[in-house]
Amino acid sequence: MRESKIVSSKFHIQNAFNLHVAKEYGAYKSLEKMDIYAPQQIIQIIKDSMLRGKGGGGAPAGLKWELMPLDDKKPNFLVVNCDESEPGTFKDRQIISKDPHLLIEGIILSCYAIKAKAAYIYIRGEYKAYQNILQSAIDEAYEAGILKECDITIHRGAGAYICGEKSALLESMEGKRGHPRLKPKQKEPEWFFENPTLVNNVETIATVPFIVQNGADAYRSYGTEKSPGTLLFAMSGHIERPGVYEAEFGTNMLEYIEHYGGGVKNGKKLKAVIPGGVSCGVLTAAECEGLTLDYEALRGAGSSLGTGGMIIMDEDTDMVAALKNILEFYHEESCGQCTPCREGSGWSDTIVARILEGKGTEADLEKLFELADIMNGKTICVFAPSISQVIVSFIQKFRDEFEAVLV
Amino acid sequence: MSTLVKIIVDGQDYEAEAGSLLIQLLIQEDIKIPYFCYHESLGADGNCRMCMVGIEGQKRPQIACDTLIKEGMVVNTKTDTIKQVHTDILELELINHPVDCPTCDQAGECSLQDFYMEYGLHTSKITIEEKVKHNKAVDLGANVMLDQERCVLCARCTRFTDKITGTHELGIVGRGDNAKVTTMPNRPLSNPYAMNVVDLCPVGALTSKDFRFSQRVWFLETAEGVCHGCAKGCNVYIDHNKLKYKDDTIYRFRPRRNDAINGFFICDTGRLSYKELQENRQESTLLNGVIIDTDEAIKQAKELIFLYKSNISVIIDANLYTEEIEAIVTFAKSINATIFSPLEVYEEKAFGDDMLKSSMRAANAETIKRMGINTQRPEKIGLIINFNHPQEFESDKKINFLTHSRESAELCFAIAVFSESSGSLTNEDGITQYSQKAIDKNIPIMTVIESIQRLGL
Repeated sequence: MRESKIVSSKFHIQNAFNLHVAKEYGAYKSLEKMDIYAPQQIIQIIKDSMLRGKGGGGAPAGLKWELMPLDDKKPNFLVVNCDESEPGTFKDRQIISKDPHLLIEGIILSCYAIKAKAAYIYIRGEYKAYQNILQSAIDEAYEAGILKECDITIHRGAGAYICGEKSALLESMEGKRGHPRLKPKQKEPEWFFENPTLVNNVETIATVPFIVQNGADAYRSYGTEKSPGTLLFAMSGHIERPGVYEAEFGTNMLEYIEHYGGGVKNGKKLKAVIPGGVSCGVLTAAECEGLTLDYEALRGAGSSLGTGGMIIMDEDTDMVAALKNILEFYHEESCGQCTPCREGSGWSDTIVARILEGKGTEADLEKLFELADIMNGKTICVFAPSISQVIVSFIQKFRDEFEAVLV
Repeated sequence: MSTLVKIIVDGQDYEAEAGSLLIQLLIQEDIKIPYFCYHESLGADGNCRMCMVGIEGQKRPQIACDTLIKEGMVVNTKTDTIKQVHTDILELELINHPVDCPTCDQAGECSLQDFYMEYGLHTSKITIEEKVKHNKAVDLGANVMLDQERCVLCARCTRFTDKITGTHELGIVGRGDNAKVTTMPNRPLSNPYAMNVVDLCPVGALTSKDFRFSQRVWFLETAEGVCHGCAKGCNVYIDHNKLKYKDDTIYRFRPRRNDAINGFFICDTGRLSYKELQENRQESTLLNGVIIDTDEAIKQAKELIFLYKSNISVIIDANLYTEEIEAIVTFAKSINATIFSPLEVYEEKAFGDDMLKSSMRAANAETIKRMGINTQRPEKIGLIINFNHPQEFESDKKINFLTHSRESAELCFAIAVFSESSGSLTNEDGITQYSQKAIDKNIPIMTVIESIQRLGL
């Protein structure tokens, strides 16, 4: 397995969150390229690198950057999404706690490229401790005169999962309820107080320095043709060594679990993997066989790569309880804006709770499929479709376990 | 420049402006589509997800309130798939709804009920017995009561206070099925247009404290009137009912849409002004406070007019219908009286705003001005014949025609209020409108025109 450390290159270095340590290991080197490249050229490099957004969607970042108008009619903004709330995902906090200067470096480059004078980091409220580290790093950068072309402000969220959705995040930053906005009719940037805004995940921005420093081809030398580069894949659950380990796209999933995670905990057999945070459909051990970690392969397997935060489940896992756990999360976190999600998340949670109690019927399972259908593709954001995917994948793949506890 | 394009809805051709909202066309053309959150005055919010339609070329059903019309668009609202979507989403709306229609004031004019009759009517698949509990009677302030359980969270009310009044009192707190409309602590709903949220609410969540529990709406009869609260001339529905053994009574005013004047709304003062029409009324003919026969009183009035000859002033209330004012003017000229309608008394600076409230609190002041009637105070004179003008002026003798009883009057005739007759009014912007008669009293009170006919000089 090829060592591929693009974002995590300084993770193993002690105190790399300190500016002088980080600088020793090459932090802020890529800023010199700002003297060589014009903003448009940096956007072109990002486009050429085929960097894909690392917050879960996997949309090409360059195309998003290109939508930003560079005509100075209105101020542009960069918003860095650090509302990492997806269960199973804990990669961004590694960046901001272990190598915050990499993020700041990425922000400076990105602001330069999209002509933004201000960047906001929207951080989830629970990350107070990591926020402090990040804030000290920002303060250091200001003091050292590194942060002069743009300002960075940390905006602390109040703990709503939905605020990780970019438009809900912006609503929240504008001081409103974190409700996703209706999708625009044509391709356009996001809007923060009606100003053009680019929203990118922490890891996406943290990848920018490497690409600008080493060129698009260097980044594309990692990964597959359609999913180039690397991702901070992570493992949690029934695994010997849970954690975040960067790997290139296209890595074999089971090999990755074995190599970095040390295999399933206590030598048990693998039962299932949720590949990228709970919103991605569950995969059985058999489906994981030969599966590679890239967007296309996981889509092909009927799931999605998401954030790459894998939840590993061993042979003893109660899949009904696992589904209940996930649905409880969705029930709690549905923002309540659209009807199908507001009511469907609660209803499906209640039904699975009853099945878990041993009071469920065959009709309940059918109702869950019906609910999954109503919630799929009829809402403003992809929260409800995620619930659908989870429900359908769990019940279809482990139907016998559900049927075993029916009345 | 707007361009008209052709689109097909359910196999029928329609023409609509390119880029306009599909739901607007459906509403205009009376093509049935369920919706809660969309309202023409508030725009699309897209949260209720009820107005799903099929659009050819699109894989998934789309909400009509967020679909812009394009040339050649083919829309289906009645396919089995779309009908199923409507049914399914309606069912979700109902999971946590208390279904307390028998005690709900909205019953009979409730979108949820209407849609259930149209898209529901199936055996319930809801197997949950426990519903999410919320508060049933929250006093939001400004005469508005909230039942959080009945709410479908369409956010029309919160958008009203955000976008229309800009006062931001209402908000939604809580997530998922715990979300509910509320006000902030110690910040009650308080703006002069607050009660419009009751009309905006598609279900029985927001009810008027004034109207709730007073009538079942299907018993109410409706006339199309014009509010007499100020010179704005807002259009209202006058909802009234005659209960057995009782008199015909107005129970509420509701705004009647008129884009040239009031749009969808009226102010709370105007909305509640129906009460004044029924309180403290002058109902019989009085001489110095003692009831006398109307024929006898008319005779005495005629004698007074004969006695004072050209030493008479006629005072006109600027709230009367134009037809009434004209009749009074004709009558006044026939007895050589001078005519006044002092307008100063109607001016109330504090009342006016830049929305729907005018500081001129007389509904037909514009007609008085246009007819060139003297708007100054009259000098002391022999006889004053006052047609309901609120002020008293100095004179030797007085004949009053009053809608509401007053102390000072010597010879007093009762006349009908505007809801008991019909006529036209010209508002401060010069728009002339017709206001229908709503009320038929058990013992009719004569109108201004009838009173002049009876004076019949």
